[in-house]
Order: sequence, then C-alpha cells, then structure tokens
Amino acid sequence: MTSTTLDQSAGLGDWLRRRRGLLASFALLVAFPFVISIIVDGQGLAAVVNNDLGNARFLQGLAIEVFILGIYAISYDLILGVTGILSFGHAMFFAVGAYGFGILLKTFELAWPVAVLVVVIAAIIQAFLFALVLPRVHGITYALVTLGFASVFWIVIQSSDLADYAGAEIGLQGVESPAWFLDTTNERFIFYLLCLGIFFGIYVLYQRIVDSPAGRVFVAIRENEDRALMLGYNTFWFKTLVLVIASITAALAGMIHTMHQPIVTPNVAGLFWTVTALLVILIGGMGTITGALIGAAVYRLLEYYLDRWFGGASGLLIGAAYVLLVLYVPFGIVGTWRARAVRIKQGRDRLLRLFTGGDDGRTPARE
Amino acid sequence: MSLLSLRDVHTFIEQFHILEGVSVEVPQGSIVALLGRNGAGKTTTLRTVLGLNPASSGTVTFDGLDITEQKSFDIAGMGIGYVPENRQIFAELSVEENLRIAERKKGELEEKEEMIFGLFPDLKRLIRLPGTNLSGGQQQMLAVARALVADNRLLLIDEPSEGLAPVLIEQMMDAIRTLSEHTTVLLVEQNFIVASRLAQHYVIIEEGRTVKAGEMADLVDDDETIKRYLGAA
Repeated sequence: MTSTTLDQSAGLGDWLRRRRGLLASFALLVAFPFVISIIVDGQGLAAVVNNDLGNARFLQGLAIEVFILGIYAISYDLILGVTGILSFGHAMFFAVGAYGFGILLKTFELAWPVAVLVVVIAAIIQAFLFALVLPRVHGITYALVTLGFASVFWIVIQSSDLADYAGAEIGLQGVESPAWFLDTTNERFIFYLLCLGIFFGIYVLYQRIVDSPAGRVFVAIRENEDRALMLGYNTFWFKTLVLVIASITAALAGMIHTMHQPIVTPNVAGLFWTVTALLVILIGGMGTITGALIGAAVYRLLEYYLDRWFGGASGLLIGAAYVLLVLYVPFGIVGTWRARAVRIKQGRDRLLRLFTGGDDGRTPARE
Repeated sequence: MSLLSLRDVHTFIEQFHILEGVSVEVPQGSIVALLGRNGAGKTTTLRTVLGLNPASSGTVTFDGLDITEQKSFDIAGMGIGYVPENRQIFAELSVEENLRIAERKKGELEEKEEMIFGLFPDLKRLIRLPGTNLSGGQQQMLAVARALVADNRLLLIDEPSEGLAPVLIEQMMDAIRTLSEHTTVLLVEQNFIVASRLAQHYVIIEEGRTVKAGEMADLVDDDETIKRYLGAA
C-alpha cells in the first residue's frame, strides 16, 4: 500500500529549502573575509585574494581554528552525544591525524594523497583498537581504558627515542605544505575556503548519518542498548562503525591542524584536548551535531577574546563563563533552543500579532 | 509441539542465583501466561530466553534449535520479539522512528501500517511526536506496535497492562488477541484477570522455580493454587 501517514523521502529541492539557514551561513562565511577587509581594514577585495596582512587574514586564521575544533568536536558528539559511548581517549584520534600526517610528509616525504590514505588507514585501525574492549567494559570503565590508550600514545610521542620523528616534548615542527591549496601562510584565503568546505561537508554528512536508519540505531544504543539488541541489531558493530567514522573525522581535523599550525605539540594528545571536545559539545548541546559547531565557535572566540582583553585573568573568566552557561543554558545552546523553541515561537507570534493588530496578544482559545 | 521450550534453566545476575530451575513449554499458536509474585523471576525468564541474562545451565530451545548460548541479536533475528515492562520505547525518537527501527527488511512498516494503526489509531495521530511526549498508555501501545512491525514467530510480552486505565487494558487485550492469530505469545502478567482471559496455558514460577503448569481453564477454578502462588482469589 502507499503510505500517506509515514514520512516519504524528499527530493533535492526540499533538501535545499530545509537547509536555507545552512546555505546562508555558508555564503556569509565565504563573504566574511571580504567584509572585514573592506570595513575594518579599509582595503579592497583584492587584499583577501592577495593574502595581504590585516584583520581579514588574521580572522580567517582564527576561523580556521574554529573549523578544526568544530570538526574534532562533531566527531566526539557522534560518539558521546549521539551514541552514548563515554571515551576519554578522543584526543588520540586527533593526534594520530596530526602527528601521522606531519611525520609522513616531513620524515617519509610521502605525496600528500598517500599520506592522507595512510592516516585514514591508521585511524580505522585505532578505531578497531578502541572497539576491541567494547564488549568487555562499559561506561566509566570504558572511559578509563580509552584514557589509558591515549595516555600511552601521549607518552610515546614525547619519548626522546622518537624525537627525530615527533619532536619529543617540544612537538612536531617544520612540516612544509605539500600543495599550494594547503599552504595556510601564502594562500590563506584558499586554505580558508578549503577548511570551510570540509567543515560544512562534514556537518551535512553527519546530519545525514544521524537521520539515516543506522543513525536511529546509534540513538537507540544510547537510550537502551538491550532494546536495540532485542530488535536484532548487533550493537557491537554499530558502535565500531561510530568509532571508525569519528576516528577518521578527528584525524582529518588533526591533519588540517598540522597544515595550519607551525608546530604540533603533545598537548593535542593529552586529556585536556579530550576535555576541550567535551566542553565544546556541552556548550553547543550534546547530541545535537549542530551544537558541536556552534560550541566550537563560542569556545574558541571566548578563549581568544577573553585572553586578549583580560590577559592573565582570562582563565578565571572562562571558568565563570562555563559555569554560567551550564546554569542558564543547561542543554547547551542548540539543545536549550530546541527545548524552548515552541515557547519562543509562541512569544514571537504573539508579539507579531500585537504589532500587526491581529488580536490582543493573548493565546487564542482552542477550537 | 512446543515452539519455545525451557528445561531446568538456571540464571545468575552477578552473584545472585535468580532462576533455580525454570521449565516452560510454549506450544505453537498459543498464548502462555507466566505467572508469579513480584520477584519470582518472570522477567528474568524472558531475559534469559532473549540472551540478555544468559542461562548458566539448562537449555532453551526455539523451534527445535538450542538457543541457550546464542547472542541476543541472533535470537531476535530468528523471529522472537520482545515487549519489555515499563515500555522502554526510545524516548528521543519519534513514533515513526520507533516503529521504523523495528523493521528487519525495508518496507515492512508500510506493509503492516494498516494493521498497526487499526489496532492503535492514536499512534497514527501522534506519528511525528517524540516518544517522550506520549502518555504512559500511548507508550505501551507503541511498545506493542513495535513488536508487530517485524514478522515475529514468538512474542514475549512483559506486563502489558501495568499502569494502564481499564479502557486501555481492554484495547491492549484486543491487540494481543489479534496478534496471537499469527504469533505465539509468552505473556508475563500480574493482573490475573487479564492473564486468564487471554491465555490458554499457564506456568507459575515461585522463587525462581517452576512450581505448576497446565491449562488456564483448570487454574481459573483452582482457588487454592491462585491464593497460594499468586496472592489473589
């Protein structure tokens, strides 16, 4: 029978209509450097393309850092927010990408597509390593085991025996850009566009994943794994799939980080970098996907501007800001917005009716 | 011939010996009521069949196959559906997504749509709402409806009438009668009146052991057994 009740798949037109906001954000971010160049720097449009020094160039760099953090955090949101796997070793996923790509380019002098391929394979292998313990430990125990994996990695990359490869405690430096479009120093705008494209591409891909039948199983695992098992789903393989997707995504963020930063420090493999991902999705809204991107922007910009304006006191202010966010935006920015969207819409409609003289502003009675 | 058979099943949950010799026979095409007081081991029996709390000894066979050591998802894949107690729907998924996730092959929900919404018309109206917005009764209906999506040969239903208003209990009983026309049912039910009106056979469990089994028609007239094991008369 033809269903009229159940949701039918929509075409491209409908997809684009439903993502007007996303497309508008993309267009705004493409235009952003030009707007800064004209309004703040007083330079022309060509200054952006010519990579001239100024606020436009600097802010593109800051935006790239937001994109990297966003891509990294979205992968953690898939693991923790969507599927409910508590991992404290997520930084290792990022660090394998960052260090792996840098070492392959610098020490082994591989062509960049080959280096990317090797890093992706390494990311898949480490995801299977993290999946290996899934059937045996759950919850906080799994978190501690994954923290153990990441800690071993963190110690290994700092070891003096590997100093020729990873730069010991100083970190990996001197990785040259392997292609003109990956050159953040000389082709900032091109690199910015590339990162922006990847950032939005990953976002759309993740939305599709979460909305897919497999995505429903991920949510089901988070809510009640026994029920998912009893519906016939081998939850181990679904969780492994989540780890593989997240590991590749975080490694991709790590590779971009290596291209963008002059030095890859061991901090990107440490617990604080995992906590950063956790903070970002808490700020944005856990399990919302969109929240990871918004949280990344809030986190990085807050960190940068508070540090710039208040110097040494910024740490205290950042801490206070997080406490306020947790208190007043308990489900994160996107989560709280969604929870209160109906009331906000009702208030907005009432306000509109007041101004347009539709009625006296009171909620209409039910018919 | 029994579709499901448990023979002298023992199950531990951590160090606790919960089932200490449960035997149940579920004939093909019947409704069997699993009865007993709170804490007798009824839900654990269902979870043991499903492999969620695997048996440490004894055997569980389904359609002649030993499934005692099978994984839960394989057991479900053989055609055993489960309607757990306390609903346990996926709260953040919509009604449609809750139904869709139970599909074992694409398009199964569309095939069953008419039957499911015929039994539970409320669900059609609520199709886009997240499970968390449903009332307790609606959630229970959704839990049963979800078990109807896939072609299950055996349904394990745990306390379907728990917490429901009388009018909803009647609706739920109608639904179970309808689905039992195509599916064998093992029913855990505290409400003896509901169980006696639905089931043809019964098994009573007391402190993790099977103590009595037989025809429901005989049990209805056996006040002493009812009073002794079920605390009702």
